[in-house]
Amino acid sequence: MATPPNPTDGNPQSPVPEAVKPMTNEQQDADKGAIKDSSIFVNTEPIREDQVQNAVKFLSHPKVKGSPVMYRRSFLERKGLTKEEIDEAFRRVPDDSPSISTTQTAIATQGGQSQPASNIQPQAPTQSLQPAPAVPASKLGTLTSRQFHWSHALLAVGVLAISGAGTAVVFKNAVVPRLKSWIRKVVHEDVEEDVPDKTDRKPTLAEEAAAAAKAAAAAASDVARASQEMLVSRTEEKKYFGELLSVMDVQLQEMKSMSNSIKKLEGMEEVTFCQSNMQGREVQVTSSRPSSYTNGRADYDSRSARSLSPPPASVEPSANPPHPKSYMEIMSMIQRGERPPNIREINDLPPNPDQPVSNPRLAPKPKPWEGLQSQGSSTFTPENSNGVNYYGQDYGPGTAPASVYQSNGDGSAPWWQQKNVKITEMDTEENKTSHPSGTNERPVQRPSWVPPQPPPVAMAEAAAAIRQPKKSPFEKEQQLTDEQFLARSAEVTDELQRVTKVSESGGVAADGGGAGIPMVTNTDEIQREEEGSYYEA
Amino acid sequence: MPAFKTPFNGYAVKFSPFYEQRLAVATSQNFGILGNGRLHVIDLSPAGPIAEIAAFDTADGVYDVSWSESHDSLLIAAVADGSVKLYDLSLPPTSNPVRSLSEHTRETHSVDYNAVRRDSFISSSWDDTIKLWTIDRPTSVRTFKEHAYCVYSAAWNPRHADVFASASGDCTARIWDVREPGSTMILPAHEFEILSCDWNKYDDAIIATSSVDKSIKVWDVRNYRIPVAVLNGHGYAVRKVKFSPHRASVIVSCSYDMTVCMWDYMVEDSLIGRYDHHSEFAVGVDMSVLVEGLLASTGWDELVYVWQHGTDPKAP
Repeated sequence: MATPPNPTDGNPQSPVPEAVKPMTNEQQDADKGAIKDSSIFVNTEPIREDQVQNAVKFLSHPKVKGSPVMYRRSFLERKGLTKEEIDEAFRRVPDDSPSISTTQTAIATQGGQSQPASNIQPQAPTQSLQPAPAVPASKLGTLTSRQFHWSHALLAVGVLAISGAGTAVVFKNAVVPRLKSWIRKVVHEDVEEDVPDKTDRKPTLAEEAAAAAKAAAAAASDVARASQEMLVSRTEEKKYFGELLSVMDVQLQEMKSMSNSIKKLEGMEEVTFCQSNMQGREVQVTSSRPSSYTNGRADYDSRSARSLSPPPASVEPSANPPHPKSYMEIMSMIQRGERPPNIREINDLPPNPDQPVSNPRLAPKPKPWEGLQSQGSSTFTPENSNGVNYYGQDYGPGTAPASVYQSNGDGSAPWWQQKNVKITEMDTEENKTSHPSGTNERPVQRPSWVPPQPPPVAMAEAAAAIRQPKKSPFEKEQQLTDEQFLARSAEVTDELQRVTKVSESGGVAADGGGAGIPMVTNTDEIQREEEGSYYEA
Repeated sequence: MPAFKTPFNGYAVKFSPFYEQRLAVATSQNFGILGNGRLHVIDLSPAGPIAEIAAFDTADGVYDVSWSESHDSLLIAAVADGSVKLYDLSLPPTSNPVRSLSEHTRETHSVDYNAVRRDSFISSSWDDTIKLWTIDRPTSVRTFKEHAYCVYSAAWNPRHADVFASASGDCTARIWDVREPGSTMILPAHEFEILSCDWNKYDDAIIATSSVDKSIKVWDVRNYRIPVAVLNGHGYAVRKVKFSPHRASVIVSCSYDMTVCMWDYMVEDSLIGRYDHHSEFAVGVDMSVLVEGLLASTGWDELVYVWQHGTDPKAP
């Protein structure tokens, strides 16, 4: 998921423009030799079809379809698929999945704005076809109904008005005859029964008219009341509907956070506590670092969910690394919302953002590994590996020539250049046998030790026996030629003999004074020699 | 060996590539959870005690520091508020920092200076991105956004000027080439978060990753499906791993088990040294490029130790 580079840099095509220049010739040659078209830092494996098919199955799973694209990609990367394989799998999975996933992510992140509604409507029928997860579907339902709400409301108003009018008419037609008949009954009760209908009719006509008027007024008031009530109930419904929506949103958020915390708990049980602790610290840190700076991410609990997506591993979780007590105190303080009292307000901005950087006073020093540039990169592993098991002892001679050691003006070497006694023992004995002893007295141990011999490997034969099992993956990679190996082994046997002599002669006195003394001048000479050759390289 | 006491909890220590007695220490108040930070520059002295020659206060904790390879007085600091700050020791303290580059949206966790080109550096952040910067530009040159979680560490290849590796909490390590738009390799190195990575200085195809799963794995990028070596021995997450600048197969690491360990991955019994001097999480470790065998470490116990391999760091 390579997103394009930051647009603010303005140079997407040539990533490191003017600043590229200073490159030494040797480096350029080595780089050209090593990289060319076949950089070793590029994956040259062909696409594995079985992995792609597994990935397609994974991506087609309905649960997976409900997750954001980022998680799916990250999962596949963790499983060891290469970029090409992942891209191929995404290509093969049915086309509507990315759009639905984006829709769903849009829903999840935007929290149900009406904007994606237009996307949702055509998707809704397809959603019903596919087994969509319950939450987005319900969200869709609410969203669609929400979208329809306004026209729905208008329709409702119209319907209610019509029904109100209709009710009024019906009431008029129903109530009035009823009232009439009721009045007639009343009138009949009042007047004797022998009164002819005609006479009854006359007074009843007037009464009827009055009654009719009353009825009409009553009906009108009824209608008015009814329509008012309907209006009220409609507004109430609207309110209720809105409240319902907001409550559902809140519930959704709560459910989200609950599921996150559940996942977290699950993760804590299965996963090494270190990890959860690290994440916990970071999650807690993120929660304790609220809005002190512009933060593009508003939802950091989604981050905590992301961090625990690694599936439970075969590694058995160990106990939580014991945190210092004050750490726990501070964490609890922050979780309570308190701010630790010892924090000061500090302005750490540059006083002059355009301050020119001062010129360097020293030239860059060559690195210890750069001196051997000419030997090429891949051949180093065998030459420089030292098979000696030097637990507590110094490494045998001959890796890189030592970098420049300034000999101090004062007589004694600074303590950080001194090795401990045991270490110097081996070397001094070796050197003693190979160089004539001098006569200088030096009260201190020799300064930074310098490999006395260029040959890179000591006791490789002995080491070969030890590292036999490890060597096999290397053998394909090693570019040792037979001659090289023979040459080295010849040197190696010399070293072997020297070393055995050392062990036979026994150790030196603890202060190492005698042994340390004679070879100091020689090491100085060697130092200088090597320094000389160093700078030529 | 003298120790240096910092007022805040230590997070990183780096030797200067110019002065063999100089180190930079990144520290954060309150364990880096919430609080200020301070960047110390200290000098070793032959007489014994470590002297502080400069200290810079920051509003937020400093998680990492890197020395410039081109300017002997320049320091880059990774600050927990997402900024990357440049400090110049040749200028008076009131003129510092000389730059504050604020582009990351989350904490900046590491910075590394390019030792080949010597003009650029990368910063990695909890916002899942890595940014490429040069000293003369006020904005980043490139942003590399592919990781799915915090990028805890990024390290330049010691030989190839354009190649770097990154270690992330999404359990992958990636190899990038600044000339390519995206990562060139994805190493699913561990089942848990990867906290640190470093290149072998003598074999540029070998990379080591350290993880929350307490192990360090050494990989060959030419055959990255199977690790070259798996180094077990730490009791808790391994916070930082570093290849020796002098020995091809020597690795030094520090862990939440409060120890600093030295390994030789070419040997059957890889653990060749263990130092138990810290009393809290050991969080930062470095090996000097100028003095062979010189180690420095710092931790949440607010102490910085500098010692020669084979000696006792706590010895006076």
